[in-house]
Amino acid sequence: MNHIKLLLFATIRDRAGTRSIEMDIPADMTIQKLKEKIGSDYPNLKDSMKSVLVTIDREYAFDEAVVPNSAEIALFPPVSGG
Amino acid sequence: MTQFPTIYSITEAEIDLNDLLAQITLTSTGAAAIFTGMVRGVTARGDAHETEYLEYESYIPMAESKMKQVADEIRERWPVIEGIAIVQRIGRLYPKTPTVLIACTAAHRDTGVFEAARYGIDRLKEIVPVWKKEVGPGGEEWVEGDYIPKPGE
Repeated sequence: MNHIKLLLFATIRDRAGTRSIEMDIPADMTIQKLKEKIGSDYPNLKDSMKSVLVTIDREYAFDEAVVPNSAEIALFPPVSGG
Repeated sequence: MTQFPTIYSITEAEIDLNDLLAQITLTSTGAAAIFTGMVRGVTARGDAHETEYLEYESYIPMAESKMKQVADEIRERWPVIEGIAIVQRIGRLYPKTPTVLIACTAAHRDTGVFEAARYGIDRLKEIVPVWKKEVGPGGEEWVEGDYIPKPGE
């Protein structure tokens, strides 16, 4: 198992009610599986997981990627700066 | 070869256009294209509404690294660009307040400098992790973007 910390921003943070969550996940878990796990562990976030963007070490990451151990992982909605 | 200045930052401070422009102006510079966006208090287009203020937040270390990427992309496409400044202000910002600034400088105006600044703001709105919550008479609402980055972005 890997212990990971997820940083949450904007709507995702508001719905979770916290800026970060920590969890233990299997070492070979993909982003897709991680999103499914978050949706089931945090029902408030289930809808958000459909359009959530995930980053690993500050780069966009995609469904097939495996979540590395001790990485900086963040979840947020499509960006709206400017 | 002259090192061309590139400035990128997320800040809570007021955006100082004159200072930024001075920092990206070289002795060879003859043109600057500057885009700045501000909080619009009254929106007429589309869903007409009024805005009291916008609350901006950012994933700062990633945002600054993506701003640098936007600057690198500008230089790849328009190698004649001399200086680049990309600044996003965050926090609570009221109508008429500048929130973002993209400025590109070049020797002459017909070098793509306008297009480069346009590209900069368009890309910032696609890949730089910043979000805003809109607060108005009817309550508050997060503004959600619609761009899904692709691998390599």
